[in-house]
Amino acid sequence: MSIMEAGTAKRRKLDHSNGYEAASSTLSTMGAAGASAFVLETEELLKEVKLDYSKTSSKVEDSLRQCKDIIESLESHEPLPINDVSAKFEKANRITIPYPDPKPAKDSPYKLSFEKPAQINVVGSWVLQTNIKSQPELTVDMIVIMPESIFQEKDYLNLRYFYKRAYYLAYITAQLRKSMGTTMDFTFDRLHGNMLLPTLIARPQDKSSPAIRIIPCAPEGYFPTTKLTAVSNAIRQGKSEETEDAKTPTPFYNTTLKAEGQFSSYLRLLYKTANSCAAFRDACVLGRIWLQQRGFNSSIQGGGFGHFEWAVLVALLLQGGGRKGEAVLSTSLHSTQLFKATLQYIASANLQKKLCVIGNDPPNLETLRQSMPILHDTARGVNVLYKMTPWSIALLSEQAKWSLSTINNSPLDQFETLFIVKAHQPLQMFDLLLNVNLPTSKEGFGAVDRKGLVWDFSAKLYNTLKRALDERAQLVHLQVPGTTAWPISGTPSKGKRNSVLVGIIIDPSKASQGRDHGPSHEQKEKAARFREFWGSKAELWQFPDGNIVESLDWTEYSYLGFPGICEAIIRYILKSRLQVSDADLEFHGREISKILPLAPSDKMAFDTARQAFEIFERDVRSLEDLPLHVKHISPISPDLRRASLRIPEFNFRKPLLQPMEVVISFEVSGKWPENLAAIQRAKIAFLLKIGSSLEEAKGEDIKAHLGLENATRDDENLAFLDVVYENGASFRLRVHSDLEESLLERQTKDQTVERHIRTESADLLAAYRRMYTNLPLHNQTVSTFCTRFPALSASIRLTKHWFNSHKLSCHFHEELIELFVLQAFLKPYPWETPCSAFTGFLRTLLLLSRWDWRDEPFVIDSSDSLSTSQRLEIGTRLQAWRKIDPNMNRTVLFVATSHDVTGVAYTQHNPSKVVATRMTSLARSACKVVKEKGVDTNIRSLFQPNLRDFDVLLHLSPKVLKSITRDEDSSTNRRSQFKNLDNNQAGGGKEALPLVESPVKTFLRWLQTAYASPLLFFHGGAADDYVIGALWNPLLHRRAFSVRAPYSLMKSPDNDNGVGEGEGDSGEEELYEVNKVAVLAEIARVGGDVIEKIEVRDG
Amino acid sequence: MSETMSSEEFIMLPVSIPPLPSFRVQATHYLYLRRNTPRLPTPDDSRSLYIANVPCDSTDPHFRALFSSLIGAGRFESITFEQDKKPSKSSHEPAQAVRLAGHRKRKRSEDEIQNAKDEAAAELPSTWTRQVYGSGSCAVALFADEKSAEHVLKAAKKLKKPKNYPVWGEGVKDKAPPLGSHWLKAHNKLSYPGNDIIQASMDAYFTVFNRKEKEAALLAMRLRNEPDEDGFVTVTRGGRAAPARRDEAEEAKQKMLEREKKKKDEMMDFYRFQMREKRKSEQAEMLKRFEEDKKKVRAMKEKRGKFRPET
Repeated sequence: MSIMEAGTAKRRKLDHSNGYEAASSTLSTMGAAGASAFVLETEELLKEVKLDYSKTSSKVEDSLRQCKDIIESLESHEPLPINDVSAKFEKANRITIPYPDPKPAKDSPYKLSFEKPAQINVVGSWVLQTNIKSQPELTVDMIVIMPESIFQEKDYLNLRYFYKRAYYLAYITAQLRKSMGTTMDFTFDRLHGNMLLPTLIARPQDKSSPAIRIIPCAPEGYFPTTKLTAVSNAIRQGKSEETEDAKTPTPFYNTTLKAEGQFSSYLRLLYKTANSCAAFRDACVLGRIWLQQRGFNSSIQGGGFGHFEWAVLVALLLQGGGRKGEAVLSTSLHSTQLFKATLQYIASANLQKKLCVIGNDPPNLETLRQSMPILHDTARGVNVLYKMTPWSIALLSEQAKWSLSTINNSPLDQFETLFIVKAHQPLQMFDLLLNVNLPTSKEGFGAVDRKGLVWDFSAKLYNTLKRALDERAQLVHLQVPGTTAWPISGTPSKGKRNSVLVGIIIDPSKASQGRDHGPSHEQKEKAARFREFWGSKAELWQFPDGNIVESLDWTEYSYLGFPGICEAIIRYILKSRLQVSDADLEFHGREISKILPLAPSDKMAFDTARQAFEIFERDVRSLEDLPLHVKHISPISPDLRRASLRIPEFNFRKPLLQPMEVVISFEVSGKWPENLAAIQRAKIAFLLKIGSSLEEAKGEDIKAHLGLENATRDDENLAFLDVVYENGASFRLRVHSDLEESLLERQTKDQTVERHIRTESADLLAAYRRMYTNLPLHNQTVSTFCTRFPALSASIRLTKHWFNSHKLSCHFHEELIELFVLQAFLKPYPWETPCSAFTGFLRTLLLLSRWDWRDEPFVIDSSDSLSTSQRLEIGTRLQAWRKIDPNMNRTVLFVATSHDVTGVAYTQHNPSKVVATRMTSLARSACKVVKEKGVDTNIRSLFQPNLRDFDVLLHLSPKVLKSITRDEDSSTNRRSQFKNLDNNQAGGGKEALPLVESPVKTFLRWLQTAYASPLLFFHGGAADDYVIGALWNPLLHRRAFSVRAPYSLMKSPDNDNGVGEGEGDSGEEELYEVNKVAVLAEIARVGGDVIEKIEVRDG
Repeated sequence: MSETMSSEEFIMLPVSIPPLPSFRVQATHYLYLRRNTPRLPTPDDSRSLYIANVPCDSTDPHFRALFSSLIGAGRFESITFEQDKKPSKSSHEPAQAVRLAGHRKRKRSEDEIQNAKDEAAAELPSTWTRQVYGSGSCAVALFADEKSAEHVLKAAKKLKKPKNYPVWGEGVKDKAPPLGSHWLKAHNKLSYPGNDIIQASMDAYFTVFNRKEKEAALLAMRLRNEPDEDGFVTVTRGGRAAPARRDEAEEAKQKMLEREKKKKDEMMDFYRFQMREKRKSEQAEMLKRFEEDKKKVRAMKEKRGKFRPET
């Protein structure tokens, strides 16, 4: 009995633990929380992008076999002198043999022959089956290994191998064209942009299958690797200079030659790895997508790091690469893990500076040194990264770092930024972009290594810029024009764009320094080098503490900000070092300063405003006769958080037109009356008290005006106090009472009162929270981040200008726009935090264009405090909103922040769905233009509103509007009309009243309330936008008469002649519709002289 | 009156709107008239007309001019616009007193007239020189006698030719304050009525408020002790001592909740079954999340292009 019992107990326990294990095993495959979605998403992505090989492979295989048969059936011929044979060949076949530069000399003694290839093989992604659908150009690589018999031992010297290779290729081409010319188009191209390696591209004319790339290559291990190390020279020219040249290493030439013999062995490596590691292929595809989205590919102009290099790197890391030669990756990893770990390796290996060797028996490290980044594969003796440049490796590792920070920081939305977003967009990435024309003559740039003039020049350009900009630039990148394929009978054409595009990511804290400090005067050697580099610009500078240092003075450009200073530096240094004239330089993005002047002095204006606020705060706090103790005085104005479009400029003569808004709150007190209307009056009493005390304490310095809000109820805020300082600063003060909130809250929840009262108090509560809770917090957040991100303030202002230009701003709270921009800074993926106004602005647009607000919440976690569950809750809340209100009549945009998870605090009543859709489509088209046109984008066009979109345009009169605001200053004739004003303004005449709000805004608000239903108005919000656009509501149909139609009615004209109307009862019941003309006439009457013209668009 | 009234009951009165420099189009606005029959009848109903769809810039002078052009001068008395009626005006008394006041009608006192005066003084001055209405709002016009109202309806029926239509705003001249820039400018000035005027208004307000509060307190006290007709005594806030403030009560509640929570927290993770259940729920949670992730991916798949790298 007891045994039985024990048994069952045990069993129960066992069962339980089994269940637990089973559950936990499913969990372990999912990995850490959040990662599982990523895994699922990548699996979906792989399914989507993978090429369907079954469709095309049979066709491709046929053509491959055909090619192979033709090549193998070629006749061999004896070695013949190079000049004779090429002249004869070119004449007979009308094919220009694609010899690399310099072409073989007239008297060269080399002999060319042809013999059957040793082997023909298909290599590359086609064999590995790692191609993807979105690849720009899909080709199948076929290598033709040339037989050893046609080469001589010394062929590695002086391009001899490459001459033979070119002839071999041309010979094949001739035959292929003869047999397949009817179905295929043949062109020559350079393999990976390497001018030493021409290839033949055979493209089927019907484009039904991918093109075939025929690549002749060297027999494996034929050339002596010891003669082709990175430090040896293989190009010797002219006997007189032989000793000199012998020392100049030709690493690029050497590695190219070595790589020629390694095609098959790399194929074997990749094939073996794919068999031993199940996830290898998927990891390669992921790598390919990642690289492609960042503009990297195997060619030299594409950075020299493409799918092949990625695959080789992963394969090598599966074998070694660790500190003690152990494997970095494990074959049992999942493809996403392989992908992440490889990124991690790229980001952390420091390939720009460090020499990396993977494999056993590393050779002498000194023999590997070269200017290219180095990842030496010992087994094959090749530097895998030999096609890379110093700038491309810098960008690659930077990109890897950015992507890693995506992976680490935001587990929820890493997928899109890694694989979907196109990250290769110069305007989105670089703060400064310029084109440098290529020199026309080789003079000074002809290096021995055969990489080409462009590359030699670019390398010099890069080094010069990098050194000249120093700490000002975080990253300098060059985009070199690519090469294109050329017809087999012609010669390679020069690229259309004969200039190098330079992109620079600046360091915002250092880029606008006016003065550069070099080495100290005493460090003789360094100082001399500094002088040599900078030439006459260098000057000695003595610090007050006696230090004398070399320095450079750029302060004359300081007023232009970083673009001006960097431009001056670049122009100076390129002229003095590389003889690049000013006409050869073209700087992009200069229009920005014409669109919105963003001067470094703006910062000072904001600082002054802030200081004025601090003085005001001190003045209020020092008042002793207030009935309650002051707890906080919080600014809520965009001027006081560096985010206003217009900088707050004021002085003694020209006071601030509109006061800066501030909220004051007092210690908790029981003295507030327990009634909303009475609280509002008590607030007024407080304001009056503060006003009179301030005037008393400060005398003539301060004038306090109590102003009335345009309130329609007596339980909303009724008044504010405008405090105007003598120096021009002015503040608008409102009082916060905490009792108001709890009363409103109670009323909102009170089930006993009528429903409309509850909705009303809910609205009041929302307005209250915005003014007294959210805005002070928001102000604090934005001003903190404006100090942390130097470019944020200017980006916000530029973005606001965009919203203004497109007449959207009257539908958005300013703080919502600020949040959009802030998000672009907090979540800059796939890039780094923007460093300039324009990149910040473009990234905000990109963010908006990608935001599907129908079912995505916009979550801004500025304090990094939202937990996963909170985020889920935000999502659930949005779903709930959409369920209640599927047509999105009330809540459209759902924006949650770390201090407001309700998601509607910033978007209570606006924007409407129409406006939000318009915002998204405008952002999308702007991003599309930027992506497609790149640096040629006409920046001005991004800010050009399309007025033709509107049905009605109200042209306002700038003159009249200005007179409204100006007359406030010193009007004398009008004043008598309002007796009460003259009575209490003791001084009379000169005293200026602040502006309650800009008259356009007042007028617009009236329009919006009066015509909420028939018309939708668009206006830029800023005082200098003199056109209001309007759209007729398309949902207003003709309908039966109703007394309370929210717009002017008229009998529908169709009634009279409506014979064919589908509705049979059209004769019985008369239909009514909007009296559009009367509505516009009403607007014209109310607007009076403010409206210059009402323009109605037809249709 | 019912909202969905058929159009037959209304008589259309077309008004011609002269073109303006900013909008050079001759427009016609349509007013809809009918006899006023409100739900709660008043003695003046017979000599008043209900007007629907009044223009937004309507004023008394406008209608005076309009009706005198129709039926001659001296027949029109006044017009009341629906939007002029203040929306909900919240009470000035403490919330509690209102509810109590509902029980018993307060006695009429001789001060009533004085109080009304005080309340008027407590109003804040308007910030507009002229009210502008929403599009398509309604009004009630009052005439000298029933016959005048009848005349108006007849005259409106007779209007057939557009050239006979009365012209809007004719003869108003400067009887109504101007709109446009003057209107906006004046609004800015009226928004700052002057600190001492507001001070006076505040003083008046708090005199009224304090009096009402006192009355309410007295009433509440009386109610506490007086049984009503059925013999019940109304229970009100506060005991013999001063009534407790609401925030104090809320604070006390908060404290109680905290205490309870603390007690609960202490008993967490104490028994083995609790641990086990916690673990189970964690697992369930994770599985749920896995399901959610799957759902999310499925949703993404439904939207096109989510898994296609951008080019």
